[in-house]
Amino acid sequence: MKILDIAFKDLLRSTRSAISLVFMFGIPILVTGLFYFMFGRIASQETFNLPRTRVAIVNLDLAAPRLQANRGSIPGGIRASTVSELVVEVLQNEDMRELIDPVLFPEAAAAKKAVDVGEVQVAIIIPAGFSSQFSDPYGEASIEFYQDPTLTIGPEVIQTILHQFMDGLSGVRIAIKVTLDQAGVTSFAVIQQVIERYLEGLEGRSEDLAETFLETRAPGKKPETANPITQIIGPLMAGMMVFYSFYTGVATAESILREEEERTLPRLFTTPTSQTTILSGKFLAVLFTVLVQIIVLVLFGRFIFGIQWGNSWSLALIIAGTVLAASTFGLFVNSFLKNTKQGGVVFGGVLTFTGMLGMIRIFGVNSPSATLLGDTVSLLVPQGWAVRGFVYVFDAKPVSDALITFLVLAAWSLAFFSIGVWRFGKRYA
Amino acid sequence: MNAIEINGLRKSFGAFEAVKGVSFTVLQGEIFSLLGPNGAGKTTTISMLSCLLRPDDGDALVMGHSICRDPNGVKSVLGVVPQEIALYEDLTARENMFFWGKMYGMRGQELKRRVQEVLEIIGLSDRANDRVGKYSGGMKRRVNIGVALLHKPEVIYMDEPTVGIDPQSRRNILDSVLELKNQGMTVLYITHYMEEAQELSDHVAIMDHGELIACGAHHELVQIVGQSDRLTLDIGAGAFEAAGDELFRCWKAVECVHQVDAEEGKVILLVQDSNRALPPVLEIANSLGVRILGIEIQEPNLENVFLHLTGRALRD
Repeated sequence: MKILDIAFKDLLRSTRSAISLVFMFGIPILVTGLFYFMFGRIASQETFNLPRTRVAIVNLDLAAPRLQANRGSIPGGIRASTVSELVVEVLQNEDMRELIDPVLFPEAAAAKKAVDVGEVQVAIIIPAGFSSQFSDPYGEASIEFYQDPTLTIGPEVIQTILHQFMDGLSGVRIAIKVTLDQAGVTSFAVIQQVIERYLEGLEGRSEDLAETFLETRAPGKKPETANPITQIIGPLMAGMMVFYSFYTGVATAESILREEEERTLPRLFTTPTSQTTILSGKFLAVLFTVLVQIIVLVLFGRFIFGIQWGNSWSLALIIAGTVLAASTFGLFVNSFLKNTKQGGVVFGGVLTFTGMLGMIRIFGVNSPSATLLGDTVSLLVPQGWAVRGFVYVFDAKPVSDALITFLVLAAWSLAFFSIGVWRFGKRYA
Repeated sequence: MNAIEINGLRKSFGAFEAVKGVSFTVLQGEIFSLLGPNGAGKTTTISMLSCLLRPDDGDALVMGHSICRDPNGVKSVLGVVPQEIALYEDLTARENMFFWGKMYGMRGQELKRRVQEVLEIIGLSDRANDRVGKYSGGMKRRVNIGVALLHKPEVIYMDEPTVGIDPQSRRNILDSVLELKNQGMTVLYITHYMEEAQELSDHVAIMDHGELIACGAHHELVQIVGQSDRLTLDIGAGAFEAAGDELFRCWKAVECVHQVDAEEGKVILLVQDSNRALPPVLEIANSLGVRILGIEIQEPNLENVFLHLTGRALRD
C-alpha cells in the first residue's frame, strides 16, 4: 500500500511541474505537429486536379438515322437516338462535370467566335451528316475540334476523351465492316449485337464515364500503396515518443536524487517504511508516468494526426517494452549520478547521443544506408530496439517479430533495473 | 524509566571520527538538550539514533528498541524533525501531512482526524490547502514539526528546529516543545543555542569534537564553573595603564572576588555574588580615580560551562 502512496505522491508532483508536462507531452506533439504540417502540405500538393474546360458543342447533325442500340447498354444510362446525340450526351453527362463545362451553340461560327474571344476554351462541331456517314461502313465520319491555341491541358483533356470515345465507336464500325465484308453477314440483328457487345464492354470498365474515357495520374507520383501520413508522420511520432519517453524515464527517476537533496528521502528513511518499499514506489511512479505519456501520445497520434498504429497486439508489446526500457534506463542512469546538478549534463549527453543513435532509421527514411545503420548501430542502444519495434508495427510485420523486440527490450530492462537497484541499494545502505 | 539509552556510540567517515564513544541516558517525559557548536557531532549522533546511519560501534535503545537490531521498532516510536525543511514544496500542507501520516502507517478516518488536529496545533488550518512552497520560513518550520507529531510518537528528535527563523516563530516553536513535554512526550532537542537549551531542558549534554564533555541538569553543570557570577568592567585603555596594577590588587582583596583577569581593555571579575561584590568594587575604582565606562553582569550559564571546559566560546 505504501508503494502506491509513494507512487501517487510522485505522480501528483509530476503533474504540478509545468516543465515535466511540457517535456512529456508538449514537445513530442509539437515536433510531430510541425512535421505533420510540413509533410501534410507536401502531401496535399501531390493531389492534383485537372482543370475544368468550358466546351462549346454544336450539333449540326439533324435528321440522322436512328441509333438501333439497346439504351440500357449505353454507359451512364445515356439516352440518345443518334450517334451525334450520343456524342453530345457523353460530353454533357454528369460524370464529366468535373472536367467539362458544356455549352450548346446552334451554329459553328458562333462557337468558334466564343473560342476566339475566350468565352470557351474548346468548340466541338459535329457536322451535318455525321451519323449517316458513321452508319455507312464505307463513309467518312469526322468531328471538328476547335481550340484556343494558347491553352494546353484543358483542350488536351477534352480531345483525349473525345478520341477515346470515337476510337471505340470506330472499332464498332470496323467490326461491322469486317462482318459485312468477310463473314458475308447482312443481318442487321448481328450488326446490332456487335454494337451492343462493344457498349457492354464500355459499361464493364467503370461506372464513371470520366474514368472510362480518361485515365488520370498525378505527374511524377508513384502509385500509392499506403497513407502517406502513416508512412511519414507515424514513424516520426513513434521516434519522438521513444526519444521523449526515455527522457521522461530519466527525468522522473531523478526524483530519487532530488528527494535526497530536498532531504525528504532521509526523512522517509526515518519512517517505518523499508528502503525497498520506497524505491519500489518511486520506480512505479516512473513506470506509470512513462506509460501514461506513451498512451496519451499514441491516442493523440491516432485521433489528431490520423496515424494508423497497426496491429494492436504488436503495438501493445512494443509499448510495454518501451515503457519498461525507458523506466529502468532512468533508474540506471540516475544511479550513477551524485546529484541533480550532474544530471543536466549527463542527461543532455547520454539521452541525446543514445536517442539520436536509436532514431537513425526514422530520420533516414527510405535511405538504404540509414536502414543498414538502423539494423546495426541503432541496436546498440535500447532506443534503437524500441524504434525498430514501432517501425515493425507500421510495416505490419507479424506479432512474433514484435514479441522478439519486446523480449530484447525486457532483457535490456532487466539489466538496467538490476544495476540501478544494486547501486541505489548500496548508496543508501 | 529511560526513553533513550546510549552506550558508546562511535561513527567515523573515513579517517575522520565524528562521534567518539558517546554515552548518555534520556528519561521518559523529559526534554533533553544536546548542546554543542557546529561540527560537534550532534547531527551524526541523532542520525544514528534515527537509524539513518549505522554506528561503527556501540548501541542505543529507544523505548527499549535497539537501533542496531530493531530499527523498525525504533522508527515506529519515533518522530524526527530534521534540521532542514524536509517537505514537498509542490504539495499543500494537508497533502504533505496525509502522505507522511501514511508513511507512519496511518489510514482512513484516524489519519484525517489527526491531520486536522495537527494543523490546528501548528496554527495552519486556514492555510492547509496552500502549497508549502508559498509559505514563509517560520510556517514551513511549523509544518516540518507537525509532520513528526502525526503518529503521536513517544520520543521526538528535534534537530535545530529554530535555525533561520524570526523571533516570533522561534518563540512559538519553543512553546510547542514545552507543550509536547506536557503531553508526556520525550524530546531530544539538538541545538547550538545555549539559551534554548537552558530554557527548555531538564537535562543537557554538551558535545564537542565528537565527545560528550558534560551531562546533567542545568544547576549541576554550572557547578562545574563554581557558580561564580561574571562581572565585566570597561575602564578604558588609559586608566588600565595608569592604575591597572593597583586596581587589580585592591579588587582581589575584596572578600567575595575570586579571580581578576584583563581581556581586551576590560577587566573580568569572577565573584561569589555580584550584588555583594559590586559596591566595594565600584568604591575602590572611585577611590583610585578610575572611571567605570560600562558594567556587564553575567550569571553562570552553559556558555560559561562550555568556555570553562573547552577554552572556547560556544559560538566559535
